[in-house]
Amino acid sequence: MMNRDINGEGRKLNRGEEEEEEDEDEESGRGRDAWERAYADERSWESLQEDESGLLRPIDNKALHHAQYRRRLRTATTAGIQKGLIRYLYIVIDLSRAAGEMDYKPSRMVVVARQVEAFIREFFDQNPLSQIGLVTLKDGVAQCLTDLGGSPESHIKALMGKLECSGDSSLQNGLDLVHDLLNQIPSYGHREVLILYSALSTCDPGDIMETIQKCKGAKIRCSIVGLSAELYICKYLCQETGGLYSVALDEPHLKELVLEHAPPPPAIAEFAIANLIKMGFPQRAAEGVISICSCHKEAKFGGGYTCPRCKARVCELPTECRICGLTLVSSPHLARSYHHLFPITPFDDVSPSITNIPQKLPKSCFGCQQSLLNPGNLPGPCVACPKCKQHFCLDCDIYIHESLQNCPGCESFKQSNSVTNMEE
Amino acid sequence: MKFQIEDVTVYFPYDNIYPEQYAYMVELKRALDAKGHCLLEMPTGTGKTIALLSLITSYALSKPSNPIKFIYCTRTVHEMEKTLSELKLLHNYQLQHLGPAAKILALGLSSRKNLCINPTVVSAENRDSVDAACRKLTASWVRELAAENPRIPTCSFFENYEKSASEAILPPGVYTLQDLRAYGKLKGWCPYFLARHMVQLANVVVYSYQYLLDPKVAGIISKEMQRESVVVFDEAHNIDNVCIEALSVSVRMQTLEGATRNINRMSQEIDRFKATDAGRLRAEYNRLVEGLALRGDLPASDAWLANPALPNDILKEAVPGNIRRAEHFLSVLRRLVQYIRGRLQTENVEKEGPVTFVASVNTQAGIDQKMLRFCYDRLHSLMLTLEISDTDEFLHIQTICDFATLVGTYTRGFSIIIEPFDERMPHIPDPVLQLCCHDASLAIKPVFERFQSVVITSGTLSPIDLYPRLLNFNPVVSRSFTMSLTRDCICPMVLTRGSDQLPVSTKYDLRSDPGVEKNYGKLLLEMVSVVPDGIVCFFVSYSYMDGIVNSWHETGLLKEIMQHKLVFIETQDVVETTLALDNYRKACDCGRGAVFFSVARGKVAEGIDFDRHYGRLVIMFGVPFQYTLSRILLARLEYLRDTFQIKEGDFLTFDALRQAAQCVGRVIRSKADYGMMIFADKRYSRHDKRSKLPGWILSHLRDAHLNLSTDMAAHIAREFLRKMAQPYDKTGVMGKKTLLSEADLEKMGNSNLGEMF
Repeated sequence: MMNRDINGEGRKLNRGEEEEEEDEDEESGRGRDAWERAYADERSWESLQEDESGLLRPIDNKALHHAQYRRRLRTATTAGIQKGLIRYLYIVIDLSRAAGEMDYKPSRMVVVARQVEAFIREFFDQNPLSQIGLVTLKDGVAQCLTDLGGSPESHIKALMGKLECSGDSSLQNGLDLVHDLLNQIPSYGHREVLILYSALSTCDPGDIMETIQKCKGAKIRCSIVGLSAELYICKYLCQETGGLYSVALDEPHLKELVLEHAPPPPAIAEFAIANLIKMGFPQRAAEGVISICSCHKEAKFGGGYTCPRCKARVCELPTECRICGLTLVSSPHLARSYHHLFPITPFDDVSPSITNIPQKLPKSCFGCQQSLLNPGNLPGPCVACPKCKQHFCLDCDIYIHESLQNCPGCESFKQSNSVTNMEE
Repeated sequence: MKFQIEDVTVYFPYDNIYPEQYAYMVELKRALDAKGHCLLEMPTGTGKTIALLSLITSYALSKPSNPIKFIYCTRTVHEMEKTLSELKLLHNYQLQHLGPAAKILALGLSSRKNLCINPTVVSAENRDSVDAACRKLTASWVRELAAENPRIPTCSFFENYEKSASEAILPPGVYTLQDLRAYGKLKGWCPYFLARHMVQLANVVVYSYQYLLDPKVAGIISKEMQRESVVVFDEAHNIDNVCIEALSVSVRMQTLEGATRNINRMSQEIDRFKATDAGRLRAEYNRLVEGLALRGDLPASDAWLANPALPNDILKEAVPGNIRRAEHFLSVLRRLVQYIRGRLQTENVEKEGPVTFVASVNTQAGIDQKMLRFCYDRLHSLMLTLEISDTDEFLHIQTICDFATLVGTYTRGFSIIIEPFDERMPHIPDPVLQLCCHDASLAIKPVFERFQSVVITSGTLSPIDLYPRLLNFNPVVSRSFTMSLTRDCICPMVLTRGSDQLPVSTKYDLRSDPGVEKNYGKLLLEMVSVVPDGIVCFFVSYSYMDGIVNSWHETGLLKEIMQHKLVFIETQDVVETTLALDNYRKACDCGRGAVFFSVARGKVAEGIDFDRHYGRLVIMFGVPFQYTLSRILLARLEYLRDTFQIKEGDFLTFDALRQAAQCVGRVIRSKADYGMMIFADKRYSRHDKRSKLPGWILSHLRDAHLNLSTDMAAHIAREFLRKMAQPYDKTGVMGKKTLLSEADLEKMGNSNLGEMF
């Protein structure tokens, strides 16, 4: 487990360096001056807006973003809801003519590919038991780029090699293909499609309404992230199949929208019957042993895991054993999926009527110890945990719910409790 | 919810109310209190209808001592049904809160075509033939004959209705046309005659404009409405045109030929009657001598179109002696038809006033003004005497008599225009004689005089001060309301230049310029690649649309447009257009996307909604001025200038802009909806044009959007569509309250609310 994480870190670092190098290369290649770069890259004028009297002012999105986030949190986190932890997700990427448009820089498809890459990593981080496949739409047909699999690297590699766009896109063909592919998966898995749609129309060979009903019947949850405008058929599809439909405003927003699909969605009622799944927990093979790997069909040196049932060697976890078909996971994977089932309760907004009494209010955030007061000693916006009544700033609120997954206030309270207990 | 407006408790069937609806009700109530007429403009999609219904019915409930009747006029049957179903909802709500005391009788009235339940009758193809088929079964003489000879068919529904006589009444409730038909089937009564009878007793009547404005119909249906009535004209932005059409007649060659046929047939009938039943003709003669009112004593089923002139202008005299005898009257008609035929032979356009026309009829055909005046009533009586029931065959002679009566009655506000051919197609002889009414106030005057309050309302009544002048009345309240929105869901833009910075316009000298055509095409091309689902384009006329679509086709632009969206075109053929609209909707539904090319002032521009994804963008190519060389328009302009001191330019701009507003208003039908509007003509950026747009469009038309070129417009469209696609918070976040609850209203109190708007 540790090993894996370190690897992950290392990869990320490497990637960061590579990007920087690339950037430098590009810049030196174009020979831009610093002031040119300020215009081309930072686009500082986009962060300004005009108010009623025509004065310029910076866009204050922070409060708005936080409000959006809170809304999402409220709808998403209702503890005790069953969630599908074993997901089979197809990502459908629209590579039609519209994907070549330049309103996202450098072009829509590059931006989409970048976000898909980030999403795939995040997805496997949050759902180690799930699998992803890639489908592209181009020239009116749908093509399966990669089959369902648990390895982020192979997907990303396949996608990056295929980045070119042409022709129309057909939503129907895409759905048909995904429907056929997802039909084969075991019944405990949750079938999902995430479509990244650039085009503003769909050129279909038949009646798309039938296909939508077919997907609905097969319990495939279809979600779409649009890149330019709201399209009725997309909205309809998502409504029918219980997915989410959203349209991106710009690149950061797109990223946010795509990553929204990483945590597992609530299980569909029909699927909510609990059933048992047979799983194997393979042991890591001893270093320095040469064995034939069942996934690469060649002799590998060291590392790898051994299937507890048929003793075959596999390179990566989680996966399905190629020989006996057993689902192979490691226990940290299960543990990491666990927090989705018991999320922390959303924090309450501290209403201004209480904030009027300053002495009752702590001056700093319990999480980061930063001051909660705005400049001018006015009380700023903050939230409080309903259990431990500690106050937190908005940034900590997001951090606690999105990443930390436990409340520092409650945890420290528990600890001090247990300490006193022990003393007794 | 229920709340107080001054002394009236208003029952409103929803939990929340828009602030503008509340303000609308307050103004309306003041007008009702003042027993005066009012003029109210409120954008579509703000629940005008329910606000009207709920206030007026609540007002009636709060004053049980002097019950007021509520007459609601709509333009189409579809709107009628919609209104009645909303009323039903409201009525149920009122019943819940007030118990049986709130019981009212409300019903819709439409033509036999929409109400008949006799399968043999209703299968006829158009309205006139349904009417005629009905008369064939229900006319008093047919029924008399049938009483003796059971083989003659009658309508069982009508017979049952007649038999139950005074018992045949509707229990209180709200009846849509569908409900009326169902009730008729249940009881075996004729819904049409039942409805016509119940209209006199009902608290709320919903029917079409014609039943009040067209004197021919109003004389039969709306004669006995009480004075204490509130009359509402909904969607009334074109009310002046409806008034004018009600009093205008046009006669073509076919009409004359048909009329000659009708006259021959009638003279045969007269001969037959002379041989078999001479007493009948004599009885008629005697009746005419005595000058009996022609309609008052007729059984309901025989009542038929009344005099086309307005009630006050009809002479209360006996029919003049020289047309009392049937054969004399026929020869008068023959001479009149002959005379008109002679006039139609002319080679050049003629225009004259009714006075000179009547004088020349007198000298050349020997028919004086008084005889002309009585033509219609005399014909009516003759046809009853001759027991003619296939009235649809006799439309032509009716038109002629209609014309004669109008020309004999009115001397001002009319003119007669004879055109030997259509101006636009000078090679095809198509002579037409038109009696055009120029004064919209004539037809509506009796309505204003007869009823206590008349409410004229629509989404587009700007500029609001022109309507009182056109219709010649004094409103006690005239106001325009804007829409309160939680987000800027409409985005009007004025596009003045193409991407090459050359101005675009449909001005006469510019419109056929290839550069302008290309720029318009490029605009559409940009837009189809940016806007999802449906786009509607309005052109100024059919011929212009044909021309520009042809040139786009030749330059290959059309093909490029078709790569993004399918293209559908409105034609003058109704069936074709309906089919095109159906397929357009299908293409929008299935995500293929579509563009609909339509014409301002066409059927589509007036009655079809392009809400939600059916219309995300509407492009108005050019300013839809009327065809300014039309003689009729010129004559009307002249009259307006002389009588009402309305400048020609002002009227033309007003008329063009209300059409444009009407066209672009098609895309937004509710607050949750969103849409863009592009006015593509450089003339829209001028203040005199722009300021005539309704307030709810103007308030969203930002200065930055006034002088755009194609690429700027595309950029704005992209941003707007992205913004609108974000999840929508209905309650309104930015501190703007757009939904008021009962508690809010109480808190606000009446005094400060008046100031708020």
